[in-house]
Amino acid sequence: MYLTPEEERILNGERGWAYEVSMRILVRLGDLFNATRLIPIKSVHISGVSYKTIGDAPIDFLEALVKSAGKVKVSSTANPSGFDPDYLAKRFPKEYQSKQKRVIDLYKKMGIDAILTCTPYYLQQPKQNSHLAWAESSAVVYANSVLKSWTNREGAPSALAAALIGKTPNCGVHLAKNRQPSIVVKVKTNLRNKAEFGALGIYVGKMLKDEIPVFEGLVNYADDDLKQLGAGLASSGMTSMFYYEKPTAQNKIEAISIERRDIKNAMETLSTAKDVPDLVFIGCPHCSLKEIGEVARALKGKKVKTETELWVCTSRHVKNMAKRHVDIIEKAGGHVLCDTCAVVTWIKNLGFDTLMTNSAKTAYYAPTLNGVDTILASLKKCINAACLSN
Amino acid sequence: MRTITLKGRPIVSGHAKGPALVSVKPISFLGGVDPNSGIITEKNHDLQGKNIAKTILCFPNGHGSTVGSYVLYSLAKKGIGPKAIVNQSADPVIVVGAIIADIPMMDQVDIRQIETDDEVEIDSEKGVVKIRKK
Repeated sequence: MYLTPEEERILNGERGWAYEVSMRILVRLGDLFNATRLIPIKSVHISGVSYKTIGDAPIDFLEALVKSAGKVKVSSTANPSGFDPDYLAKRFPKEYQSKQKRVIDLYKKMGIDAILTCTPYYLQQPKQNSHLAWAESSAVVYANSVLKSWTNREGAPSALAAALIGKTPNCGVHLAKNRQPSIVVKVKTNLRNKAEFGALGIYVGKMLKDEIPVFEGLVNYADDDLKQLGAGLASSGMTSMFYYEKPTAQNKIEAISIERRDIKNAMETLSTAKDVPDLVFIGCPHCSLKEIGEVARALKGKKVKTETELWVCTSRHVKNMAKRHVDIIEKAGGHVLCDTCAVVTWIKNLGFDTLMTNSAKTAYYAPTLNGVDTILASLKKCINAACLSN
Repeated sequence: MRTITLKGRPIVSGHAKGPALVSVKPISFLGGVDPNSGIITEKNHDLQGKNIAKTILCFPNGHGSTVGSYVLYSLAKKGIGPKAIVNQSADPVIVVGAIIADIPMMDQVDIRQIETDDEVEIDSEKGVVKIRKK
């Protein structure tokens, strides 16, 4: 890999250990994935924040970086934490609260914006064709596919290293030749709601591994539907992107077909329970402004049952823009939570056993990561299950 | 005593010598290894209950969360990390972990020829693993 004289100096430790170790990570990964040089990036999104997910593991390393005066060189955001500071924090032991704060403080000291969301693109939308280094697989797929910017699926440490250096190796989907679709997915049924878009993603992701699919036959979709599709693909597979409009130059490639029965099977597999949920969760990935509006409209004239909780998770930024909708949701008895989500908090410790959601990604992960049963259904069904019937 | 020499690809350079601990299954450092003791805790893992501290740890590859790299760092800092890592095929979680923890590492080594408690010497500068069979 070619390095500029300044990059060589960083690698030799002339700018301190934090930058040296970051450069070593980028150069070694670049070598392994046949990169020829480092390229500048516009932003970084970091994973490895929730104390529930990561425990004490990163604290030693993050402390060493801070001690060595490591600072990010580009705009950097971070993933959700184990709880929001208002509603959930007080329901957990003091130890969890102080450990979580410690992790967030270390990221902040490095200059990372502690906005704590999996949808950083609602805060600042990256430009088309701009190079990024994002962790958080759902955001990676959304950025590459819908926003048409370019990022590999970074891990927690490689994203952090990219943030400190402001560069990433030019490999993977940073190269146009690696962004070509390799399989056609013919969708021969109309997808009725976001849960079905997500279920399609889980189903196809499992089959494709790291191939780049081009979906044909999708109709009447919004960006939020594509967000669910991408989140599903990224959860069960290793892909970084998909196409939903036929790319102009396309070689003849293999095709698979998706029928109604495949969607039905996928939806059924993602539901491990049939009984009544005690937690209804909307907002994986974090809700857009439009989605918060949809929840508010679905709740019109309804009241959340006392024996059920309704969580709507989003970023601080979107919540602030959605004040009117937030009021409606909270008056109906729901909770609009920032900085967290049901997957990265301790829902089992809060006494929940059955989670209902319109997110296929959550339904895919929650039985193993959270130890709860799941029901995957449309937003309408989720809201009806959370509310008293009138 | 029989000695065999294997070749591989250097990932993190260094020298180390110690007893081999060989795993058939991949290792997930986040959730699969206790960061305070170095003991493998993953259920139904062939090394469950075994301690990786001060071993030449041989396993096919890593898997699971990328936060696993940080676990390797913590173990090494506490002095209970592996002396070296030998993989069949390196993946980013283990590579980054070995880099930040400064643990000599190689991959593309036929680890099926190594058995637990063999005396192993690795020179990951040259990409050579010497094994003295137990």
